[in-house]
Amino acid sequence: MQQTPVLELSNLRKTIKGKAIVKGVNLTLYPSQIFGFLGPNGAGKTTTIRMIVGLIKPTEGSVKICGYSVTKDFVKALSNVGCIIESPDMYKYLTGMENLLQFAAMNKTISRQRVKDVVEMVGLQHRVNDKVSTYSLGMRQRLGIAQAILARPKLLILDEPTNGLDPAGITEFRTLIRKLAYEEGMTVFVSSHLLLEIQQMCDIVSIIKQGSVIKTAQVQEILKHNDKIEWQLNAPDKAISLLREHWKIEAIQLKKNTISADIGQHPLDKLNEFFIREGLALTYCSAKQNTLEDLFLDLTEGDEIV
Amino acid sequence: MKLFSLIENEVIKMISKKRLMFVFAILVVLISVFAYGQNHTTERTKAQLTQRMGIAATDDWRKLADQQLIDMKNRLDNPYRDEKDKSSLRVRIEQLQYNLDNNINPLEQSAAKFTTRFMEQSIFLFLPLLVIMLAADMVSGESSSGTIKLLLVRNVPRWKILLSKYLTLMILEVIILFFAFVLSVLISGFFFGFGGWLAPVATGFKVIAGKLDTSTVLNVPQWHYTLMVYSLAYFVAIVIGSISFMISILVKSTAASIGIIMSTLVAGNFISYFLSDWKITRYMFMVNLRLTDYLSGSFQPIEGMTMLFSISVLLGWTIASILVSFLYFTNQDILV
Repeated sequence: MQQTPVLELSNLRKTIKGKAIVKGVNLTLYPSQIFGFLGPNGAGKTTTIRMIVGLIKPTEGSVKICGYSVTKDFVKALSNVGCIIESPDMYKYLTGMENLLQFAAMNKTISRQRVKDVVEMVGLQHRVNDKVSTYSLGMRQRLGIAQAILARPKLLILDEPTNGLDPAGITEFRTLIRKLAYEEGMTVFVSSHLLLEIQQMCDIVSIIKQGSVIKTAQVQEILKHNDKIEWQLNAPDKAISLLREHWKIEAIQLKKNTISADIGQHPLDKLNEFFIREGLALTYCSAKQNTLEDLFLDLTEGDEIV
Repeated sequence: MKLFSLIENEVIKMISKKRLMFVFAILVVLISVFAYGQNHTTERTKAQLTQRMGIAATDDWRKLADQQLIDMKNRLDNPYRDEKDKSSLRVRIEQLQYNLDNNINPLEQSAAKFTTRFMEQSIFLFLPLLVIMLAADMVSGESSSGTIKLLLVRNVPRWKILLSKYLTLMILEVIILFFAFVLSVLISGFFFGFGGWLAPVATGFKVIAGKLDTSTVLNVPQWHYTLMVYSLAYFVAIVIGSISFMISILVKSTAASIGIIMSTLVAGNFISYFLSDWKITRYMFMVNLRLTDYLSGSFQPIEGMTMLFSISVLLGWTIASILVSFLYFTNQDILV
């Protein structure tokens, strides 16, 4: 089955005032996927998102949403998008409801009932008739999500969406995003610096550094293949050389009596048996599941954040 | 139609921001002060003239006008007045003479006269100020609050968003003029009575080589004259609105765009006083705003300017502003 990709970025580049901000990003997303876009500050996440929604023009490359080019077929492409860019800026002198009605008026497919439903979905029904200037950041964030999903977009783009939400709000938000993706078939594009958030919520993740995507993969896959084992034993030097000789595993010494290694496909029980047979006093062994955070730091390590 | 919804949105925003209320309040205060002042001046002028003529309170305006005429002629004979001043005086003498010959009382006040005069006095600075207050915020306000992003990521092309804003501005300009008109009539009617709409007004004066040409002068009813003045005022409002609109798109900050356009307008007043010899200044929009002066035959600051010339210059500025606005807005990268 060949589905039309919901979002297709090919060789997307942006140069602002002679400085390359985004250097050739490629990405293809299909319906019902939750995608995480990770990167340190200034890596080009927001610039990429702005190009996707047509706020800025790509210097090179193309953005296609549901098969429509954003630069050539703006109206058709944007009919399929809902988004929050950077911060949920709303008209502060209007109420939450008046804000939503402004956006509903711009798209005739949105009924008044839909507006009410969305308000309930994001849990804003008690405050929706108050002026936005009285809202907390978390409430503005909810309103931002509400305006983004009003038109039932196929692609929902959220830039730092959990900013300002309390823990309960974050859990609610995660449930909402899952529901939108898996029940309503939306593709959700989340950019965040909260790595745990992405890990808990997303199916696919791309890590961007200095304008280039350095890794794109299924979250499950990344986590599975990077299991690190830590051993506490009495002779770490000997253990490292033994691992190198007999198993071709490169281990490093972490602390005084602790070594760590990526064992790949080797079975852990056999390795432990081996250490004991070689006369090492093994006191503790743990399989540390790699988190996205480790991967993120590994990949982006040593770079100055510009 | 979608454009209609967009305009409706803009109007809702403008009303919620309470800017229109502010404009209304300014108009109430200013018109009240102006009407009171006008009343005061009229009384004083009358008193002064009767005193000089040695006649106790008279209602015979012709005598007063005759005296005024003699007064101005004496001033004209003063050899120390400069030539520019004299030609201006000569124009006023000829006009007054024309009023006398045709039995049009220039001193008599009425709501109709006041309403017209108020707009004639407002057209080059006060009316533009009110328009700027609304226009300078329309795009830059959304840029500085970041809400422009929300507007531009909808399935509506950028030019349509901008067009809805521009059309809203044109509607607001009508509302400003409507406020000004209604408030002038109501407030000045309180001082001078509500009549005067059918009184004849002389128009069609032409200034040719510093002399008033009365060959094309004709009398029109006051209401007709008022309508002409307000139409010209609307034209000026559109011109200033378009220029402010463009600056508000280019500058992206409301305070900065109000500052830029206001200082340009004030500079325009200096220019018409001090640099009137410098020919190029007449192509600036600021010195062409006193369109109503062409109707009443008042003297122009720079030689060789006509109604047609001024309107063409202003039209040129307007079209250029609209073009720049749309081209820049539809192509710019939104980085806020």
